[in-house]
Amino acid sequence: MNKQEMNDDDLLRKFLNPERIEKAPEGFTSKTLTRIQIETQSAKMNKGFFVKNRVPIVSAATTAGLIIAAIIIPAGKTESVGSTIWKYLQDLEFTLPNLSLPGWVSYIMIGIFLLGLFDRALFGLFHKGKNP
Amino acid sequence: MDPKGDIFYIGQVLEGKINAFSYLVDKHKDKAYNLAFRICGNREEAEEIAQDAFLKAYRSLKDFKRKSSFATWLYRIVYNTAISLVRTRKNRVLSVEEFPVDAVDFLSFSSTEEEAADDYRNSLINFALQKISEEERGLITLYYYNELDTEEITKITGISRSNIKVRLFRARQKMAEIIRKVEMKNVFYHE
Repeated sequence: MNKQEMNDDDLLRKFLNPERIEKAPEGFTSKTLTRIQIETQSAKMNKGFFVKNRVPIVSAATTAGLIIAAIIIPAGKTESVGSTIWKYLQDLEFTLPNLSLPGWVSYIMIGIFLLGLFDRALFGLFHKGKNP
Repeated sequence: MDPKGDIFYIGQVLEGKINAFSYLVDKHKDKAYNLAFRICGNREEAEEIAQDAFLKAYRSLKDFKRKSSFATWLYRIVYNTAISLVRTRKNRVLSVEEFPVDAVDFLSFSSTEEEAADDYRNSLINFALQKISEEERGLITLYYYNELDTEEITKITGISRSNIKVRLFRARQKMAEIIRKVEMKNVFYHE
């Protein structure tokens, strides 16, 4: 430190008392711990739905999968699941009273449905945690 | 002071005993709050910053590598939280004329002359702190109030040691100049 620096340092030390720190307000510790407890509880509740209900969710998903498989995979056939689904989709035909729709409409409908699901998934991903 | 120390209580918190965290809050709250207050210059905001810092520390306690002390790690969180908050708001620039004239003005709020003089010095320091940048305020607080060396300050702020020395020199110079100006004004006022 040069002389000027030492003068500045001395002046600051004369005015600045390290023992004179601003103390945290009364109740600071309890307020902080309350915030921590609230956060811990809400974090548990947030992940609670999937964590707590993982058994029925997995069970329901498996049951639904089996039902769908039973519908779309004919008994006694050894074709792959992919080609069976593809055939099933090709056989789909939409008919309305007095109105016969061409086969490609079913693809469009499925496409719209899948894009809708994809859109919802992206919306959920990018707006995660923005809800008040 | 509890002889078990911070590391013991950190272990307890990591085992799921939330209440053990109250020891850490109690021990470090004043210096954490002081650092936040000196940087932002507002009591309500300082309380919010210090609480947020403890909350962040609690959330990331499992990532605390113990390469530095818990205090250093916590001050780093307080420093960064306070600096980001101050940068989001525009500060009003105070002029030297806005500072109360001298210690006599503080007598009405203090019981003794000595206390009034101490309040005056503290207010003048706060005033001078508000005239330097938020980063410099943090450095001055860590160096003079928390009495940390430049190596510890480097760990907290992420600024290199040589840069800290330069910035401390500039901040010290600016603050000393402001204090001298206010003191000079007082001399003229009483003549």
